[in-house]
Parts: sequence; structure tokens; C-alpha cells
Amino acid sequence: MSAQADAPRIVVATVEQAQRVCALNDAAARLRLKIGMPLADVRAMYPGIAVAEADAEADRNLLEAVADWCDRYTPLVALDALDGLVFDVTGCAHLFGGETELARDLVMRLARQGFHARAAVADTVGCAWAVARYGDFAASVIASSPLEGEGSRSSSTSRMGEGSQPVDSSLPLTHSNSLTRRRSPLPQGERARDAGAGFATSTFIVPPGKTESAILPLPLAALRVDADVAADLATMGLHQVGDLASRPRAPFAARFGKELLLRLDRALGRLDEPIAPRLPVPAAMAEQRFPDPIAREDDVLGAIERLARRLAAVLERRGEGGRLFQVALFRADGKVHRLELGTGAPLRDPVRVRKLFEERLAALGEACDPGFGYDTMRLSALVVERSDPAQTGLAAPDRAEELAHLIDRLGARFGLRRVNRLVPQDTHIPEFAVAAVPAHAVRCAMGASSPSSRSAGRGEESPEQDLLSPTRPIRLFERPEPIEAVAQVPDGPPVRFCWRRVTHRVVEAEGPERIAMEWWRDGRGNKMTRDYFCAEIEDGARVWLYREGLYGRETSNPRWYLHGLFA
Amino acid sequence: MGPAEPSPALNRLRQSLAGIDPSLAPHWPEHQRLIGFEPSIDIALSGGLACAALHELAPAAASHAGAASGFATALAARASGARGEALWVATDFAFAEGGGPYGPGLDLFGMPPARLLVLRVPRAADVLWAMEEALRCRALACVVAELPGGGAEADLTATRRLSLAAREGVAGLGLLLRHRATPAPSAAATRWTVAAAPGRPDRFGGLGRAAFDLSLRKNRRGPCGRWIVEWDHHERAFRPAVPVVVAETVLDRSDRAPFVRAG
Repeated sequence: MSAQADAPRIVVATVEQAQRVCALNDAAARLRLKIGMPLADVRAMYPGIAVAEADAEADRNLLEAVADWCDRYTPLVALDALDGLVFDVTGCAHLFGGETELARDLVMRLARQGFHARAAVADTVGCAWAVARYGDFAASVIASSPLEGEGSRSSSTSRMGEGSQPVDSSLPLTHSNSLTRRRSPLPQGERARDAGAGFATSTFIVPPGKTESAILPLPLAALRVDADVAADLATMGLHQVGDLASRPRAPFAARFGKELLLRLDRALGRLDEPIAPRLPVPAAMAEQRFPDPIAREDDVLGAIERLARRLAAVLERRGEGGRLFQVALFRADGKVHRLELGTGAPLRDPVRVRKLFEERLAALGEACDPGFGYDTMRLSALVVERSDPAQTGLAAPDRAEELAHLIDRLGARFGLRRVNRLVPQDTHIPEFAVAAVPAHAVRCAMGASSPSSRSAGRGEESPEQDLLSPTRPIRLFERPEPIEAVAQVPDGPPVRFCWRRVTHRVVEAEGPERIAMEWWRDGRGNKMTRDYFCAEIEDGARVWLYREGLYGRETSNPRWYLHGLFA
Repeated sequence: MGPAEPSPALNRLRQSLAGIDPSLAPHWPEHQRLIGFEPSIDIALSGGLACAALHELAPAAASHAGAASGFATALAARASGARGEALWVATDFAFAEGGGPYGPGLDLFGMPPARLLVLRVPRAADVLWAMEEALRCRALACVVAELPGGGAEADLTATRRLSLAAREGVAGLGLLLRHRATPAPSAAATRWTVAAAPGRPDRFGGLGRAAFDLSLRKNRRGPCGRWIVEWDHHERAFRPAVPVVVAETVLDRSDRAPFVRAG
């Protein structure tokens, strides 16, 4: 910590019409400043103190960034209030050498990033929350790091610390981390060994089944109840959780509502408390850590392929393939890049997954800056679908599969929404008669029964239809282009029109084909009937024009538009 | 209108050239898939329009943009046959300027939209990238790439790359559709300028089939020329646009057949 970081600093926010201290660093705490003091009082005591305005949004963003980073420990990370994170580490802890090691690793790494963090592992969310914040009150049952004043009830429990290297804000910020463990199959309970570093952080491990003994000696505020409720209870002589737990429940429910008892039950594990993870939980994932961060694109892609191979083994066992993949690149400095890509068909092939991410990285370019390199990578299949192994031919390559892969590649490069198929719609309004649907969503591959069979069928039924010229243009303007047109009679075909500043003489016109808007739709003023004409101009080109509004009935001055081009 | 009888020396020279670059062979290799037009054009193209190659199209004037797209659609319909798939790539601007491909119209024109993929990309360079990628894919029968304006991005180097990609693929027909004809050199096998020709009226006196006035401006394997053809969207075939009286009576008769049967 630099000398500057040791200078007393406070953060103020407007609370109850006054600027009050809402956070302070250790140096400020040593000056006997307290949270909630009006700024005027602080200024009177220490006129030269460094003051910063609270910025809730920056705090939130920072917490989100930390949560993103913490994703490396478990996929189930939830935000908790303003300054906490809740993890579900069930089944994850052994990857880090047990719960104690995990908590220590977390706190140490966060400390290196400049955060004072406190971590607790317990059976329930409520217990972990309570112990992380008030663990010093009940150290007899909790394995804690000896760095913190162990077991001493009077030790300072200020959970305000300071980020010694605030990256994107100059605010002193604190993050307590509650880790929760559910039904952990692992034996633990050993005391955390010396964290071995000179920062005042702590980890607390509540052994399984010891929830009650850990939480009962804690102050009532540890139950996540409002401050005024805690104050009311204190006036009644109730100071510890145990005081409340040992008394009859009904009077408390009547006096303070259900909330208080709900909190108690959840903390004690009598009621289940789900956590709401920030990110969707992947169906399958593979992860790799690097002792030395990697930054070259080739290395990253190689690692993706290796991860894809591991993922493929998992998916193959389940008979599934991925439809939506995500690779999370954890940068050494804490930033996390997440690249997502969808596929048209369930995919397992590692080489193809690599190829798709190659396109994605190429399309992103500089937006995905590796900085000093990535130290952890995770590939997850967010959406999976059943995919039975298919018999591949020896001679002919599978065309449908190849096409699906091409669509994926184009989609990875330009976005899947840009690769479209034209799907007929049930409407007679020309511009809505066909919709561009992302090709990966349209499941009519080659050979499947598709609307294309329609054209052949129609030819057999009514041959004279096909001897006529097509009645619809091959190209349609998204927005009909206004033109100046002259007709001999107000509701007759056009004789001349001016489009894009060139005047064309109409040699031949077919029409009108009258298309009325759908009466059941509220067109918002766009309900005028259109009379379409197919007009051939003097040099042989054909265009599709329409007059908007029936002369004399809907409008006295119909306007003309050019809507499409014929071949 | 066929090519003049080449001298034996010239033939030998061509054959030795073909050893270096197969695309310069006087005749297409056996496995090469060709799209036939009508006889007089096929002779000029020494058999037909080669599929595994790059061809350039441009409208003769701005008002013939529809005809040029129509010709590209017709070639795509012929190349993709009964089951093949086609891809149409264009920039957002090209679609805004010339209109997007319209499903019902394409269906009536002989190209079922269910077998057409449409890709919109932001920049012209992306069109070329996507086209190269698609030409190498063996699942596509035809790739139409549309460039707004003269398509200066598709220069000699780019078209050379695309030609190589088309040859590597099995039978993907590569069509480069420029919005304006350009004199810039290119490595395409043929270059066409397309205009709409005044169509013959149908038997009711209305507008008949679409007719194209095709000018072959560049041909690596034969002479250039100019033809007027009609597109028979029902049979997916090109027909010479000469009013043939006999043909018309035949059409009339087959036309009435269903009515006779119904009675």
C-alpha cells in the first residue's frame, strides 16, 4: 500500500437530507470517524480530509466485474445486495484443493487486485452471509484465518476496507464474499492455515452441521434484518440470534412480520434459499487454466479446440450436441471476455467449433484485446440438443451437414441474423408475404418437403398459369419508392413516370391488381387500397408500380410508388 | 456463329497451355458441369456456361438492373436444378438500392425461395470473403455476389481468388453481379452485359415471358457475341426469342388439353 492509500479517505452520500459518510478506509476509521456521520461534523474535526462522492452505478459495475472474474470458481455466482457475492460451490471446491483453499485463494487473489474481502463457507446462504460479516463473534466453531483477531469479540469488525489500487473509480470499496455450500460431500472442518500474506483478510469455514452453533452467538443484524428491527429487538433485550431462536415464534411473527422468522429459518437451514445466478448455467463445460497467461490467437484457438474435444466427449456420452457455445476468456488482470456463437444444428466436432470461433475472433478484431494474456479459459455449451450419431458415408460427403457448417461460419462472422431464408407468410400484402428468417432457425434442409414443391405442383395443375409472365417481381424495395406518375384517367394505368430523376414512358401496362389492406389490422393510417400495375417501359425493363388510394373514394390525389423490379 | 476453325499449331499451343492451367483448355474437361443456353450461344461458350468458374454480370444501363438480377436468378435456377441450393450475398446498401430478393417473385420465376439463402453483409469486402467461403463449400450449386456501383473491390486479384475458389469447389457457379458495368480487368471466365429486351406479348396480348438482350463482352474460350433470349420460367430453360408460329400453335393445343379432359 502506498502512502497515499494510508491517508484517511471517506465517501459521502446524501442520506436523510444530509451528506453522510457511507464508507471509509482504515486510516479514517482510526480517526474515530463512523459510518453515518454527517459530512459537516467530519469537516469540523478534520478539515483537510479527502472526500469523494458515492457513485452507486460505478460500485455496481465494479461488483459485476468482480462477479465476472469470480466465475472462474463456480458457474453459480449471484450478486448480493451492494457489496456481496454468493457462490454455490457444491462440487467445485475439490478442484481448488478443498473449501479452505478455495476461500483462501479467492481472498488472496482479490487482495492482489486491491480488494479487502472476507469469505465464508457454510451450509446455507444465510449462515455464510452472517459469518462473512460477523464471523468474528463466533470464532470458536468457525475455522478462520489467524490473521484476523481470532475469537475476540471486541475486535474491529469494520467491513469497510479500501481498494488500494482502484481501477475505474477512486472510491474505497469493499466486497464481502459469502460462499455457500450445500450438501457438500467433502469432509472438512480443518483450520485454515496461515494465509501467508500481509493483508487483513479473513476466511471462515463453518463445518457441515455446525450451522446452528455458528450462527446463534452472532448479533441479530447478522440475520439480514433491517437496522430498525434490530434496534427494536435490542430494546427488548435481544442481542444475539440465539436469544431469538430460543423464544416462542408467534409473538415475533405478530410484532415484526414473517420476514424476521423467514430470515432465521433460512439462516438455520430450515427453509431452502435458492440463489439467482447472474449467468445461465451451462449444460456442459470444459475449463483450462494456464500457469502462464496466453495471448497469441493461435494459442487461444488451440486451447479452444482442446476444450472442445473434452466437451465433445461429455456431449457424446449424453448423445447431445451444442447449439449455443460460449467461450469465457479470463484475462490475467481480471477482465473477462465472453464470446458466444450459435449453430444451425447440434455440433460436437472440435475442429468445427474452433473454426467458428476463429471467424468470431476475426470479426471482433481489436474488440477482444488479450492484454497481458488469459490465464483461464472456459468453453461451455449453453444450449444443447439431442444429436444422435449419424452414419457417415465413405464416398459422398454429407451436403446438408456441409451447408449447415457454412451457415454457421457465415453466422459466426456476420451474425446469424444476417444469414436468412425467405419463408412465405400467410398474408397477401406484398411486403409481408415473405419474411427473412435466420437460416439456422429454418429446419427445411435439402430434400425435406418444402414450399418449393408448390411451384412444380402448380405447373401440372394449371399449365396456362406458367405461360403468363410472373405476376410478382423478383426484387422488392423494402420501402416503396415514391414516383411522379401521369395517368390518362385518374384510375387508369400510368403513361409516364419519373423514378430516380429519370422519366420513363410506359409502353405496356398490365393491371390493375387491386390489393386492399387487411381490415383486421390497425394500419395506423396506412390502410389505403393499392392498385398494382406491371409496366414495361420503352427499353423493355419491367417495373411494379402502384397507386395508393382509390380515386374519389379514399383520396382525391392518389400517390404513386414503385415497389419492385421484374426481370 | 461458332469459333473459326483453329489452326493445328494454335491447337497444340492451347493444349500445352492447358497443361499449365486447366482453365485454359480448349474444351472443358469431362467432369465439368455446364449450363446450356441455346445452341448458338453454347457454341460460343464451347459447350455451355462452366459451373466451376466465375462469371461477371452487369446491367447495360441503370434501368436494366432488374434484367441483370433476372438473368442471374435464371442462371442460379438452372445451376441449382431440382435440389441444389443457392446463396445470394449482397451488401446492405446493394439491397437497399436495388431491392431485396423477393420470395414469391423468385418462386414464379423458377427459383424456389426455399432453396435460396440470402446473406446481407455490411461491406463490399465481406461480400467477396463470403463468396469465396461459399464457393469452396461443396453443398452450394450457385453463389451470386452482388456489389453496389462498379464493384471496384472485385479487382483482378480478388476475381482471381474467386476463380480459384470456384475451381476448387465441385460445381459451384460463381456469379458476380455488379450494379454498373466496369471496364476494369478481371479474371472471370466470361463477362456479360444484360439488358431487358421488349418481350413478345402472350396469347392474350398481355406481357409475355421475360426476354434478355445478352452481350457477351469477354469470353476466355471463344468469341463474344450478342443474343436475345427468352427465359422459360416454367421449364427453367432459355429459348431463342424468335417468334415461331408453329411453336405457338403447339403451345395453344397443349394448353387447351385440360379443359377438354375436364369436359
